[in-house]
Amino acid sequence: MDRRYVIRRLLQVLPAVASILIVTFVVVHAAPGDPVVAVAGESGDEAYYAFMREKFGLDRPALQQFLTYAGNVLRGDLGVSFVLGQDVSTLIAERVPATLLLMGTALLVSTVGGVVVGALAARRPFGPFDLSVSTGALIGYALPSFWLAQLAMLTIAFRTGWFPIQGMTDARANYTGLAHWGDVAHHLVLPALVLAASEVALISRIARTGILAEMDSDYIRVAQAKGLSASGALFHHALRNALLPVVTVVGTRIGFLFSGAVLVETVFGWPGLGRLVLSAAQTRDHPVLLGMVLVVAFTLVLANLITDLVYSRVDPRIRYR
Amino acid sequence: MKKRLAVAVLAMMLVATACGGDDDGGDAAPDTQSTTPTTAAPARGGTLVVAIGSDPGSLNPAVTSNGGVHTASEMMFNGLVGWSADGKPTPELAQSWTIDGNGTAYNFKLRTGVKWHDGRDFTSDDVKFTFERALLKLHSRTQASMGSAQLTLEAPNPTTVIFRFPNPYAPLLQQLNVTEAPIIPKHIYEGCTDLATVAGCPANKTPVGTGPFKLDSYTIQEIKLVRNPTYFRAGLPYLDGMVQRVIPDVGTQILALENKEIDWVGSVPGPDIERVKKNSAIGTSTAPRGSGGGNCTTTMIFNMKPPAGRTPFFADVRTRQAVWHAIDRNQAFRTVSFSQGKVSAAPINSGITFAAASGLTLPSFDVNRAKTLLDQVGWKDEGGARVARGVANVTDGTKFEIDWHGFAGDQTTYGEQLRGQLSAVGITMQVKTEDNATFSAAVFNRRDFDTGVASYCNGDDPEIGFRRQVDSRQISTTAFSNGAGYSNPDVDRLLDTASREPDPAKRTPLYRELQEQLVKDLPYVWLTESAGLRAFNAGCTGFNHQNTGLFAEAASCKK
Amino acid sequence: MSTPVSATAEFEGGAKPGGPVLPSGSPLAEPQAPHRWRTALRNYLRHPAGMAGLALGVLVFVAGILADVISPGDPFRTVGDPLLPPSGDHLMGTDNLGRDVFDAVIHGARTSMVVVTGVVIIASFIGLTIGIVAGYRGGWVDDLLMRITELFQSVPRFFLVLLIVALFGAGLDNLIYILAITSWPTLARVSRAEVLSVRDRVFVEAARSIGATDRRIVLRHVLPNVLPTALVVIALTGSRIILLEASLSFLGLGDPTVMSWGYLVSNAQRFLRVAWWMSVFPGLAIAVAVLGINLMSDALNDVLASYSKASPRRRRRFRRRSLSAQLPLA
Repeated sequence: MDRRYVIRRLLQVLPAVASILIVTFVVVHAAPGDPVVAVAGESGDEAYYAFMREKFGLDRPALQQFLTYAGNVLRGDLGVSFVLGQDVSTLIAERVPATLLLMGTALLVSTVGGVVVGALAARRPFGPFDLSVSTGALIGYALPSFWLAQLAMLTIAFRTGWFPIQGMTDARANYTGLAHWGDVAHHLVLPALVLAASEVALISRIARTGILAEMDSDYIRVAQAKGLSASGALFHHALRNALLPVVTVVGTRIGFLFSGAVLVETVFGWPGLGRLVLSAAQTRDHPVLLGMVLVVAFTLVLANLITDLVYSRVDPRIRYR
Repeated sequence: MKKRLAVAVLAMMLVATACGGDDDGGDAAPDTQSTTPTTAAPARGGTLVVAIGSDPGSLNPAVTSNGGVHTASEMMFNGLVGWSADGKPTPELAQSWTIDGNGTAYNFKLRTGVKWHDGRDFTSDDVKFTFERALLKLHSRTQASMGSAQLTLEAPNPTTVIFRFPNPYAPLLQQLNVTEAPIIPKHIYEGCTDLATVAGCPANKTPVGTGPFKLDSYTIQEIKLVRNPTYFRAGLPYLDGMVQRVIPDVGTQILALENKEIDWVGSVPGPDIERVKKNSAIGTSTAPRGSGGGNCTTTMIFNMKPPAGRTPFFADVRTRQAVWHAIDRNQAFRTVSFSQGKVSAAPINSGITFAAASGLTLPSFDVNRAKTLLDQVGWKDEGGARVARGVANVTDGTKFEIDWHGFAGDQTTYGEQLRGQLSAVGITMQVKTEDNATFSAAVFNRRDFDTGVASYCNGDDPEIGFRRQVDSRQISTTAFSNGAGYSNPDVDRLLDTASREPDPAKRTPLYRELQEQLVKDLPYVWLTESAGLRAFNAGCTGFNHQNTGLFAEAASCKK
Repeated sequence: MSTPVSATAEFEGGAKPGGPVLPSGSPLAEPQAPHRWRTALRNYLRHPAGMAGLALGVLVFVAGILADVISPGDPFRTVGDPLLPPSGDHLMGTDNLGRDVFDAVIHGARTSMVVVTGVVIIASFIGLTIGIVAGYRGGWVDDLLMRITELFQSVPRFFLVLLIVALFGAGLDNLIYILAITSWPTLARVSRAEVLSVRDRVFVEAARSIGATDRRIVLRHVLPNVLPTALVVIALTGSRIILLEASLSFLGLGDPTVMSWGYLVSNAQRFLRVAWWMSVFPGLAIAVAVLGINLMSDALNDVLASYSKASPRRRRRFRRRSLSAQLPLA
């Protein structure tokens, strides 16, 4: 890995962070009405507003307010939810593990599933399997995840009784250790599958296209001329290189996974960020929403950083400009 | 391997959250004996899983009338006096009492040997503290009723507490159950800077009470309670514990019940009622009372006292009559309430039998009459929308465009129905769905609204939950007070007289006269008397369906 | 009168527009713009998936435009008994308040079309302008514009929209502006990339050497080369906007005064077991609209943007210098 590239790439994080802080600051302060309402909600009394004005320095000039805000955020103070009366950072931190578990599982399932399906489809391009996969992918990508969640709950959960329909754990039992994780896994299946559904569609298409593109290149042709079978070529060579676009896409899909998780968690009662975001959106709880924007944005910066670094390690042809 | 204890715990009704947001209900706490006689000794052990609609945030029921908090926390506490199904007070934390001077002094002798969950003794100091620091300051129903009656408390010794009123106060005993006046420990809460918030009072998340269950853990997903082994009613509770699982979507709650993942749902959504009733594995019970109180009436509020800068749309009684005529309450009852409960026939909820009035002439559904009245007032129909032409105190050319505030869920559905019905007579209504805090701020704090909807839970006596609607001295910033801003000295006079009259037979004609006056003035639209359907695991018995707080006290489930 | 450009092309032996024979990387070739469009159109008409997508898209679009004609009246009003299954009177049944689901779906199409059209127009205008100017001018203008673009791309779109709706209110106009502002960066980046690949080609330099103004070059040479890829991105953006608007309405954050598919699906949740039609038809409508646009965008991609599936251009798409650049984040 080129050290100069790594350092450069790390430095690029700084303007990204600055952009996030600037954009969010501008948005909050561009809102109509008294800015103190934006941070403190509509139901406070004068004393509370005065306190919040002081705390956020709302009477001071814009630049100073921005610096206060940036300082707070970088220190981890994301404000206070006026609906729930607790620190936003605590609220988010408590729920992140559950959502990460859901998203991580969905990411894993959709990536592995997508690559496998895409590879199988690429073996016989435009054959029946490929066409049905493409169609399925197209449809899957078009279906809204919240609708899928409703259907899944009704058909699978309820009819078969194989999977629980709500929560992360069994309410009656007090499992510990391995049994606890087994219980969690049992509850994880449906929400993760629904969340993964639309992602599988996209990833299988990208994997398929990438593999086909690779299969057309010279080094594959040479290998085949030397006697390598088509499947062998596919799985030993093309797949590995085709994984690069998959990795690219996966990194950028994390943002979509977050928003998908919000919708899926609502339907399945999964105790993660989804519920928090939903109720915050419905009650216009700005501090929580702002906190979520910041947390997700910084997560994406991190995800992109990791993806780029991994990518640069894997593909030596990458040169920064 | 799952032990299935079915003790249904009241699931927090989403509607009851509405109920909970507003009024009270003098909820009667019936006898601790199970309402269904059991032949053998009830099975011990097991956990009851109850669905609640959202994370309550705090577990102190003495500082709020919010239904969510109450459902989640009441079984950890007790009141002084319970109320049986047939309208009789039953001893709880108070063993006995005497009433002096027709109701100017109530002398309670407290039970001895009652311990808080942390082992300390319960004394009269705790009662005094609860009323003075919590209930009278922060609980809206207590404030409005006992507070305005100028209650003072004395605690001459650890087992005696005296309630004194300057004038006879009739309905005190109905207001001392765990829903209306839960007793919290002084030694835990006296150090709090702000009892109403979690930040100012961390104990609000780790409550200590005297009730049959105590807190085990409080996570995002659920609130786990365990049996209180030192509960003052020996032998109770039969259950090992209770879990309140947060399931925001009501449909998912029912599915979970049918899937045997939970044991109790507090309010079955309309579309599922038929199916649930036919399911033999599920028992049902109609609940005229919820965690927010009993005898609740869904009420639409006219803002008769808007602040300067807001058009006084509803100053003229004819306009209010017109809105009454434009609304089809029966249709709303069918589509929103799924015919559970009944359409209101009087301002006071018919569940309060001695004060109920029948045969009052409420305006009927008559669209043409509505249009005529609007024309008379000066709202002319111009292209399908009403515009002011010669309306008193309204600038000519103002359009009849109003807003409507309510909570999410069933209330929003009401709003959408009403919007359609009002647009048929030319009134444009915008539905605003809000959370509890925003609603209260807009409607009661700033009076910045045109119409709103609230579920005013009347309780077991008009003093408790009804008076605040129409008493002109209750126009305040307290949530769920006199939202309309209605002021009529005759009504005030009748309210005062009735509250001081100890004989219920003599109160009936007073309340009748009062309601006749209200029907002339129409400060509100009394829509429906709500009644939810509770559903629970049929293998469980022993629920106290009358008592929201302690219904699981004597429950048990077949395994 | 032939322009120097076509003279160059003729000199090269005749550039075949859109033909797979000519490697696209050749510096001297410029496909004839009018020829290319005509061939592209012909190819599109022969593309089965593309035509299917076009049919779906047109269906939804027309339903939206003619909403008041197909389903006159207020879709929020009660027209029958609640929870009626699909029948002759009510093609898609009625909902819990006795509203006709078909009327509601048609009016929902209008909302979606209005939002998509508004967003696409605004985002395209901003994105194309910034992308082309940045790519063409280069230098500090390019850097500045790209930093601004990065600024708008840095924040996850879905959550930002939630925040903005909470702060600014949920009217349809607000929604269009918010979605447009978060959608243009992708288009700007893509069009800039296309401009960069065309800018240094010899035919452009040739045009400049004979005195063509920048404006003429941009309009006659740069823009026609940018548009194909831009169209594909615009179409994809459109389908994402439909899903985004539906998601917002599902969460209760859409404009409450207009009918929306997302609202219908959300309202249907409670009644899923007694009235499946309340959820299925609006959900299908969303899927049809998104699918249609996706198919169109795929077909456009096949027909316009590259000449063969394994062309170096396409492969190059995956080796970007910065991966976070092209695809929208959230």
